[in-house]
Amino acid sequence: MARRRTTTVKTGTRRTTGTRNPLLLVALALVVCAAGAAGWGGWQRYAASHDDAASFAQARDDALAAGEQAVQNMNTLNHKALEQGLDSWEQSTTGDLHRQLVDGRDAFAKQIAEAKTVSTAKVLSGAVTELDQRAGRAGVMVALRVTVTAPKGEPAVKESRLLGTLTRTSGGWKLSALGQAPVGSTGG
Amino acid sequence: MSTTRHLVNRRRRLATTPSRTAENGPEPLAGVTAAPATATEPGPPAAPATTTEPAPVTETTEGEPDPDGGSDPGDGPGRRAEGGSPDDVPSRRDSRLRITLPAVLCALTVLLGAVAVWAFASASGLRDEPARQNAALTDIAGTSEVKGRISEAVGAVFSYDYASPARSDRAASTYLTGRAVQQHKDMLADVREQAPEQKLVLTTTVTESGVEFLDGDRARLLIFADQSNTRTGKDEETTYAAAMFAVDAVRRGDTWLIAAIDTFTR
Repeated sequence: MARRRTTTVKTGTRRTTGTRNPLLLVALALVVCAAGAAGWGGWQRYAASHDDAASFAQARDDALAAGEQAVQNMNTLNHKALEQGLDSWEQSTTGDLHRQLVDGRDAFAKQIAEAKTVSTAKVLSGAVTELDQRAGRAGVMVALRVTVTAPKGEPAVKESRLLGTLTRTSGGWKLSALGQAPVGSTGG
Repeated sequence: MSTTRHLVNRRRRLATTPSRTAENGPEPLAGVTAAPATATEPGPPAAPATTTEPAPVTETTEGEPDPDGGSDPGDGPGRRAEGGSPDDVPSRRDSRLRITLPAVLCALTVLLGAVAVWAFASASGLRDEPARQNAALTDIAGTSEVKGRISEAVGAVFSYDYASPARSDRAASTYLTGRAVQQHKDMLADVREQAPEQKLVLTTTVTESGVEFLDGDRARLLIFADQSNTRTGKDEETTYAAAMFAVDAVRRGDTWLIAAIDTFTR
């Protein structure tokens, strides 16, 4: 009797250890799985946020946005707010282009003040043609529609094909060169 | 043999009874092994067996095969401990442990799971950023391929020689698809009409192209092109025109086709 009882106690003990272990094992397995998933996810996130292609893509989009804005600024000028407009020109540029603008500012301001024109520009489309992230240089092409309103006559609308070079400065991407895409140079 | 060991154990235990509770602290293993016993035997039927008959228990275990005896020293005292008077403290500790451990594991699972969900969501969110979707320039080979193909297509499709109109048709069917087919027809309608009479030769050359957007088999390009229009009728004259437009391109197999032409008309 006593013996049987002890055996039942023993098996009972063993069984409880048995039922408890699987539970614990399952819980542990879940924890391990969750830890694995968390680790993998963390790695994925790290990889996603430290992706070279992504930072390049971001630089490209930054350059394009800055380029389009700068081109638009450079083609917008109201004779009534001349100083403000020319300031924005200077802020949008750097390097040689900036120097040219600063040097020619007074003469140009006089010219616009006499002509009393208002120019507004709309970027139709733009693309980055090249991007050298390390050198901090980018090439952009912008399709632009410029409307020039003179005191007399109808507003003149013209479309411009512009090629610009951007240089990265501490204040972001700025235009260091801007010009019309040449026409007829290919000679058919 | 196990009997003597048990006896020794028991004597030792009896001698140190007051300090046993303290002893349980540094020896959590004993507590753990004892736990199931207390767990399944909170009720009266099983408990008396061990409490009232401590000696028979050890004596009967003696009858059992030796391999079991090996586990006895650890097992015995633990089980006997619960039968003893300071039984309450360890069992409460055990049950607390029994609840806390799975609870901790559960919490850990939930926490780590949450971290995993956040990390994956955040990673996919980062990947889905519009900047990354656009492979223009980041995919150097793809960018240059689509630029090359579309420049070629634009040149072919917007060139027209009065002497061989079939070539233009062939180019149109080769490089155009979807909406671009009709757009191209409309754009070249005048040229087709005047060409035979004026002996018109229209040549389009892409001078600049930039990929605005590239994602798998779709792309959008900005094109600057020169168009030379040569009338070889009475007196030969050539006029140049600057063109700018955007092209939506789709990939078909291993080539790119023009799917739509955007001339920025208001």
